[in-house]
Amino acid sequence: MSEQSGDPKILLEHVTKALVDAPDQVSVSQIEEDGEIVLELTVAENDLGKVIGKSGRTARALRTLLSAAGIKAQKRYALEILE
Amino acid sequence: MPIPDKIAAANKINEFLRGVVANAGLRLKYRITVDPPLPEERDWERPEILVEFAGPDSALMLERGAELLRSIELLAIEMLRLSGNEHEKISFDCMNHRAMRIEELRMAASVAAEKVRKTGAPYKFAPMSSRERRIVHLALRDEADLRTESEGEGMRRCLVVYPKDSRSVSSAARRGIR
Repeated sequence: MSEQSGDPKILLEHVTKALVDAPDQVSVSQIEEDGEIVLELTVAENDLGKVIGKSGRTARALRTLLSAAGIKAQKRYALEILE
Repeated sequence: MPIPDKIAAANKINEFLRGVVANAGLRLKYRITVDPPLPEERDWERPEILVEFAGPDSALMLERGAELLRSIELLAIEMLRLSGNEHEKISFDCMNHRAMRIEELRMAASVAAEKVRKTGAPYKFAPMSSRERRIVHLALRDEADLRTESEGEGMRRCLVVYPKDSRSVSSAARRGIR
């Protein structure tokens, strides 16, 4: 297996587009803040519930996945869901 | 209710996971099996689609109670838009972790059962996911002198084993409110 390098921003877009009803309205912007990379996720208003989930479960799963991708990329990633 | 089109669902999972594994930079391979054969002792759990991961990043998948594995599973289930009772039709595993966890839970269930019999007092488990609570419920379903109930909300929801005829804490509390 060759060593692959991931891209957490594309990862977040890929997963979010699979979760929502309006994938064309998914956008992710990347901001670097004090050595941490903040990914700001925007989705259609009607899709907010889908990325947050029942008692925040889906958002928590997204954060776990991003932190694993961060471990692989040796960078710290944070997710912000913009409302 | 079975998943209407398992092949289509398996293909969607494959497409989803390909992007997840590659873009997360995870060194993992996975195999998707539709209607997998399972050992007899797991007859009460019949996943229709089994996803098994293996590879150098298995340890990362299984850290902190297999948090990453559970997260990817949850996202895939949400992606497929399955209704609540269809969730158990999909099972994600890594290095046989799930089978070992089931064995662990069944052992914990029998220890709890003995404790309740000996003391006559209810035994409360630490909070668990609905799937894990179900494993304990089912492990104790044939114990005629005991019953199990789930209490608490959301992340704090946990399973309690009671002697058959004792009153549960939650229903007593509900009566108190009325």
